[in-house]
Amino acid sequence: MSLFLDVVTSSAVLFIVATGLLTIFGVLKIINFAHGAWLTVGGYCAVATTQTGLSPWLALPVAFVVGGVLGILTERFIVRPLYARPLDAILATWGLGIVIGQLITLIFGRDVQFTPSLIPGTVDVFGTAYSAYRLFALLAAVVLGLGFAFLMEGTRLGLSARAVIMNETLARILGLDTAKIRTVTFMIGTGLAGLAGVLLTPLTSVDPNMGVAWLVGSFMLVMVAGESFGTLAVACLLLGGAQVVVSTYVSPILGGITIAVLAALILRLSPKGFSRA
Amino acid sequence: MNVLMNAKILSVLAATLLAGTAQAADPIKIGVPVGLSGANSVVAPSVVQAAELAVEEINAEGGVLGRPLKLVVADDGSGAVGAQKAFDALVFRDEVDVLISMETSAARNAGLPIVQRGRIPYIYTSFYEGRSCSPFLYVDAWVPEQQVPPVVDYLKAEGAKTYFLIGSDYAFGRGMLDFAESYIKETGGEVVGEEYLPMDGTDWTAIISQLKSSGADALITSTAGGAPNVTLTKQLRGAGVTIPYANLAVDEGTAKSMGADAEGILISASYITGIDSDENKSFLKAMNDKFGGDLRTPNDLSVPQYEGVYLYKEAVEKAGSTDPRAVLKALGEVSFTGPRGTIEMSKQHHAPLTMYLGQVQADGSVKVVESFPNVDPGEQCPDL
Amino acid sequence: MARRRRGLVLLVLALVAAAVMLAAPAVLDRFSLNVLTRAMIFAILAITVDLLWGFAGILTFGQAAFFGVGAYATAMILTHVGDSAPYVALGLVAAVILPMVVGAMVGWLTFYPGSSAFYATIISLVVPIVVTQVIYSGGTFTGSSSGLVGYWGMPLSLEGYFRLAGVVLVAVAFAALVFVRSDAGRLLTAIRNNETRCAYLGINTQRIKILLTVVLAGVTGLAGFLYANASGMVAPENAGFVFGTELVVWTALGGRGTIVGPVLGAVGIGYLSAELSGDLPFLWQLLIGTLFVLVIIVLPNGLAALVAPLKAWRKPPPPPTLVALPVTVPRRTGTAPLLAMEKVEKSYGSQKVLADITLTVAPGELVSLVGPNGAGKTTLMRCMTDGAAASGGTVRINGTAIAGMLPDAIVARGIGRKFQVASVFEDLTVAECLRMARACHETPSLVAAAETLALPASAIDILRLTGLDRMLASPVSLLSHGQKQSLELAMVVSLEPELILLDEPTAGLTKTERSTIGTVLKTLTAERGMAAILVEHDLDFVREISSRIVVLHQGRLVVDGTVEEAVNADIVKRIYSGGGHE
Repeated sequence: MSLFLDVVTSSAVLFIVATGLLTIFGVLKIINFAHGAWLTVGGYCAVATTQTGLSPWLALPVAFVVGGVLGILTERFIVRPLYARPLDAILATWGLGIVIGQLITLIFGRDVQFTPSLIPGTVDVFGTAYSAYRLFALLAAVVLGLGFAFLMEGTRLGLSARAVIMNETLARILGLDTAKIRTVTFMIGTGLAGLAGVLLTPLTSVDPNMGVAWLVGSFMLVMVAGESFGTLAVACLLLGGAQVVVSTYVSPILGGITIAVLAALILRLSPKGFSRA
Repeated sequence: MNVLMNAKILSVLAATLLAGTAQAADPIKIGVPVGLSGANSVVAPSVVQAAELAVEEINAEGGVLGRPLKLVVADDGSGAVGAQKAFDALVFRDEVDVLISMETSAARNAGLPIVQRGRIPYIYTSFYEGRSCSPFLYVDAWVPEQQVPPVVDYLKAEGAKTYFLIGSDYAFGRGMLDFAESYIKETGGEVVGEEYLPMDGTDWTAIISQLKSSGADALITSTAGGAPNVTLTKQLRGAGVTIPYANLAVDEGTAKSMGADAEGILISASYITGIDSDENKSFLKAMNDKFGGDLRTPNDLSVPQYEGVYLYKEAVEKAGSTDPRAVLKALGEVSFTGPRGTIEMSKQHHAPLTMYLGQVQADGSVKVVESFPNVDPGEQCPDL
Repeated sequence: MARRRRGLVLLVLALVAAAVMLAAPAVLDRFSLNVLTRAMIFAILAITVDLLWGFAGILTFGQAAFFGVGAYATAMILTHVGDSAPYVALGLVAAVILPMVVGAMVGWLTFYPGSSAFYATIISLVVPIVVTQVIYSGGTFTGSSSGLVGYWGMPLSLEGYFRLAGVVLVAVAFAALVFVRSDAGRLLTAIRNNETRCAYLGINTQRIKILLTVVLAGVTGLAGFLYANASGMVAPENAGFVFGTELVVWTALGGRGTIVGPVLGAVGIGYLSAELSGDLPFLWQLLIGTLFVLVIIVLPNGLAALVAPLKAWRKPPPPPTLVALPVTVPRRTGTAPLLAMEKVEKSYGSQKVLADITLTVAPGELVSLVGPNGAGKTTLMRCMTDGAAASGGTVRINGTAIAGMLPDAIVARGIGRKFQVASVFEDLTVAECLRMARACHETPSLVAAAETLALPASAIDILRLTGLDRMLASPVSLLSHGQKQSLELAMVVSLEPELILLDEPTAGLTKTERSTIGTVLKTLTAERGMAAILVEHDLDFVREISSRIVVLHQGRLVVDGTVEEAVNADIVKRIYSGGGHE
């Protein structure tokens, strides 16, 4: 039972962390290697919010807005010149990640920061005492996934974004402002990354490098997932599940590299990952 | 705050550089390679502060053999490549007379060949996994043989029979837990699980589930400092783990800032701020007076640094010069009574130490539960 | 001669640089010696990153892993096995061979038909992560996080290591410069520009990339050996992904694709960071990070681009002289038709694009494939040159079924394909493009750029008729649209194929150019026994040159006959009166 809970909640956390990256990659075909830095920014939003004495829950909208605004600036000044050079975009955003990390260090210091747990304690699930916050993370992942599905399927923005994914030239000819769609998509992606940063704080420490540890894993998941949230959920469940199973039955050290190695093998066998299946 | 910190280090550097040409008596230079950036950067400022206080105090008393001490701090990036640069700069560019520093094991190892080429003494002031041996190296901090037994003895006395061990997968983490495992077995206990996560791992879920199903009486952890400590503690508390928990790698400052999550954690250290001695009280007061609001809580890494500077002073005075060969011989013979008590690096370049078992209280303070005087470091370097 | 002189200048420069390396310890202090020794070893890595990324277009963070494998192989042998001279030699061998073995595995995993550039980058991330984890888990064997220290390596002084590292760096840089200027070296640029075109010139790009990865892994391992000896220790971070990104940062700042730029980047940043970072660690990283982002966006070719204008006054190397190859009539073996398609079909999901296509082409024929847009003409062409394209039926070239074969293997069987949109190499010169087309006939030299360019007479005819023969040294990026079309045609003809596929070769050309191409095609087929299949909309042109016309309509072959038969067929009239085509 606890193995099952571990699998679904671990997958949920991975899903939350990877959504921002997927949003950007799905529509813009750009890998935001500063994703880890945005998670960190989100974490520090939580620190700043609680330090000013506000409710820790308020950090969620704050981080979304801060992440989004930084995203708009980044899209405009760093990513926009690089749409034709996707590999260079990886590098430029990686460099940006370094810069953001150092700025955070200069402002907040190197120290590990603390935030109160959003939901402390455990809940009884079928006789197992299980972390209440992890169960909440599962809920949050589902809400995020459904919310995004609604955004893509049910709104004008989603329709435009899908048009850009399918055929950008055609979308432009049809009169869609593709530049604006790109900016908005990037903003949503980075906003979500900030949000994910806040959601991570009860599970991790907040320090200038907190996001980097999650970067490679989410990158791999997004590569395997392709462009849809459905396939991302599948990827998180399968690879996250594999990580938990390997950690439990073989070795947590191997578990730590399970996602990266499996993702590489999956992509070798099926270059488009799960999006084709 | 950190900007100020850096500016301060800079200004100290600038001042000392300028002073070098003006001073009549040639200063004795103490190189401090330390992790101002990277993993150790959380604790490094406190180490630098402790060294600054020691140098200030000694200079106020007329220096060493009539010569003032001068600190030269260099960032080692908490890793091997950065340490090579820092050691090179200190040994060959700044031509320091001695190196005194708290560093990661990788940084220490990276520096040792350079120290050997430069042929100067090196006082290592960080607790570590043990058995680093070089004629040029002295250690005034603890090794597993000194730190683990108090913890296990205490848990055993509390009735623990089965233990679960969790660590980060690196030399210190494994070294500590390997020793803990053998010590537990020697004393009749049983290890029901021993699991490691990569150093940058953040998800302890699977290990915690195993811990819960193992039914262990007590938990002993030895993770990398800083973030892994915090993530593990948070996730343990989130999962509702309440068995007695000893953490071999958490420092007092980190424990303090973890607040309620850290309550009840047992720590074992050679220094705890609550040590009730005149030396410690006057040390804490001097630190407070010197640094005021910028003070970093003195800890088990910064206090050995403070004492390291004094031990070097004693050795130079005993040797009558800064000649490396004479100083290296004297370092094993001199002693200094500081906040941690009387320190003497007389046992194969390591020091017998008084160890304290502390428990984190609800308000984050650490209460001394028990003290163990003069714990021997064991056979660290039989060839020296 | 001029080419040889350039080579000589390079050699002299290299010898001077080596002499400087040997003499420098006399004037450098020990701090600079130590710092520069390590920086120069890292510069060797930067060269390998530059060859992979700057030249071949493979963005890699993985060189750190090969470096780590080499360094650890050395250190582990010296620590656990022995440290006398034979063991040092064993360490050297292991440090080169082991990374090559790992490189071969990584190469096989990374470069497969259809692999994307992103995938190579992903693998290059995974490899250092896995290698680092192995090191961490190795206990006393690898020293875990503390690394290995306290072993004895080569008995050299600080000065000795400086000289050794310096001379090896100069040698590697010299070899790299010679290589990238050679004809084989230009192949890397060709692969970066246009991998598809390479494949359709019969070049197995995957194999070249794997080979490059393996060789550079060996060079990297050699650097690892030097490092393990010179620094007296190895640590996990030497193999880590962060180190891999630093190598890319140095390469990018110095100037990718220049060899010298990355060397200066690695040495310069290495030295400056040792001087400065101790004093301002966070500001230093902030500065490097900001500079890196700016360079990537504004100066993609790095700081070397700032001095590039200075190079403008230097005369570009003269183009090679054209030499006509003797005319050969393709040797035919067996009696099977050149091309035989049987019941070929292609569908995307439920959408059938081609159905029941049966077609044979014999030597000497000039077949025109006509039909309205969307009839499936280009798809049909793809089915002839890509063994994975057709969803049913068989395609045989000279009697061999091509199912499952890759384009480069099919091209090697005597097919040349010209694409609808000119597919050439933008960063090469006209002469270099043509050289690539001959690569599978005449293995390009690894060390030199040949003085002559031997092409089939018909290819030279095309160049003469279009004036490209006077533009051999021009960069392709400066050519007009029509010139690129002609260049591609000349390249495909240079392959000396038995069957040539041309997708709208005359689109966008002037009347004169068109008739030129018509003449060439007629000569090729009628006199040299080549066969050609031509997709064409210009019916007058088709009528003029074709020996046979095939009409494709809604994925089916509706007419297959002589020019007369086709032009008079009812369905053709119907399609072309209603189809809106001229």
